[in-house]
Amino acid sequence: MRSDEVYGQLARVYDPELDQPLTELGFVGGVSIDGSVVTVRFRLPTFWCAANFAFMMAADIRERVSELPWVERVDVQLLDHFFDEEISSGVNCGKSFVETFPSLATDDLDELRETFRVKAFVARQERLLRSLLALGWTENAILGVRIGDLPRLPLGSEGLALVDRYLAILKERRLADNVTAPAFVHPDGRPIDPPELRAHLSRAQRTRLSVEFNAAFCRGLLKTRYEEADSLCRGALAGPPFPGTPSGEVVE
Amino acid sequence: MFKTKSGDEFFVIDGHLHLWDASPENQANKYGAGFISCFYDYHRNLSPPDYVWEQSLFEKYGPERMLKDVFIDGYVDMGIFQPTYLKDFYKNGFNTTEQNSWLKVRYPERWILNGSWDPRDGEAGLEYLESLVHRFGIRGVKLYTAEWKGNSRGWKLTDPWAMRYLEKCQQLGVKNIHVHKGPTIWPLNRDAFDVADIDEVATAFTDLNFIVEHCGLPRLEDFCWIATQERNVYGGLAVVMPFIHSRPRYFAEVLANLLWWVGADKLLFASDYAIWHPRWIVEKFMAFELPDDIQKEFGVSFTLDVKKKILGENAARIYGIDINVRKKELAGDAVAAMR
Repeated sequence: MRSDEVYGQLARVYDPELDQPLTELGFVGGVSIDGSVVTVRFRLPTFWCAANFAFMMAADIRERVSELPWVERVDVQLLDHFFDEEISSGVNCGKSFVETFPSLATDDLDELRETFRVKAFVARQERLLRSLLALGWTENAILGVRIGDLPRLPLGSEGLALVDRYLAILKERRLADNVTAPAFVHPDGRPIDPPELRAHLSRAQRTRLSVEFNAAFCRGLLKTRYEEADSLCRGALAGPPFPGTPSGEVVE
Repeated sequence: MFKTKSGDEFFVIDGHLHLWDASPENQANKYGAGFISCFYDYHRNLSPPDYVWEQSLFEKYGPERMLKDVFIDGYVDMGIFQPTYLKDFYKNGFNTTEQNSWLKVRYPERWILNGSWDPRDGEAGLEYLESLVHRFGIRGVKLYTAEWKGNSRGWKLTDPWAMRYLEKCQQLGVKNIHVHKGPTIWPLNRDAFDVADIDEVATAFTDLNFIVEHCGLPRLEDFCWIATQERNVYGGLAVVMPFIHSRPRYFAEVLANLLWWVGADKLLFASDYAIWHPRWIVEKFMAFELPDDIQKEFGVSFTLDVKKKILGENAARIYGIDINVRKKELAGDAVAAMR
């Protein structure tokens, strides 16, 4: 199904602040497909979610869905947001952030995006480091782990999911090319010295906690904001078949 | 006042209270509607079911209801009004010093009435600040850096005009600067929740106290770092507190970090009423214990003395209130008679 392909691409779009996919966060409010035109409606936990992160997600939705070979046009519709019209039309016209908000922005969002990719790196690494420490690994043993060892760490399925997430961001930062390189490094690739591991973990713990606390807050708010609407929608789906457009499919 | 079973008394100063008017008649545009519905979702999402209000009541609850909720039912002895003007979103403003003064005038010993300023008001705003000091004797201000004004979408504490306002605060003895970060700022491509500007002004104005509302969340790591560096930076627990009910484990982790990095002498209790009712928050706070593993990891403890500081002693200290004297004054006031 083409809708599955679209959702597959949307699962690769992350909230930059929360480092979780939009599909898991419930931010995708619906997808409609009409031939080669895909409309993605997306929504956020509050009317006041930061515009810069909302723009990044809108732009990423457009980019990812456009990668599907049969897609000719993507229409992103941000819903119920203080800048919904500005962001949707900016992204759909292929404008950059500063082009969309010429009088409010001085630059595009690369720097902000990198700041939050670093936080995501630190938080993903912290979760994995913690699970190793909980198994009784020593600091030296942890810092002795090589990139190539990561997939073979003796962890359960939860721990291996942490490995996958950490490896993905290592790859994204081009830190995974050399399988014999140390696996646990700073976000810029510098090795962590054994005496600094504890302080590194303590800092990383606060970053991870901020991200998780924020994610818990956002998930709860989204649920409160859209729960009623979603249950009505599910009710409609459980009844007679949901009417689609003649030429395509509608997935809510 | 919260009393334990053994008779120990806890003087409660609620550090973050609002008396707002967000009724549809006062909303100026979709932003005003969006602002209060966002607050209402905070309220619905994190309150225990028994404390959830109808939306119309939440939009405008009025001074009598507030008095009852906070002082009669909510254990609170004194409250700090933190105004948020939002005059671009609400015709008469959302929650102004003037609106709040209605209760201050009638129950003067119960309230600490704070003012507010906006550096984009220039010279006229400096005069307004002076008038707030003369009319109401304010000792603190609440600043909202995400406020919209005309074409502007926010400001930073390090903006040249903001520095002038801080100088003015210093001259006027307005010592307590409560800072609240929101989703917008200029320029829009920067992280609006970044707390770095607080670090700079806390270094530049060592006679002022900077109380960072909701403890810098969602940028807790930066806030902890700044509060360690600057002895005049405090954490206001609004928004952090209600997690005690819905996500106690996160609450414990955040609290442990705050106790370790910021310290028990620099955290101020706050309900953020009417977003959350102080009654359940005070009860849960008094009953709360840090899990053993977290106590061990952080080397902090959450004793009754620590609770006493956070609930009232810290705010009393920075606002120059002698709790023992004030207790006697409050015992005979009109609110005490209503209890």
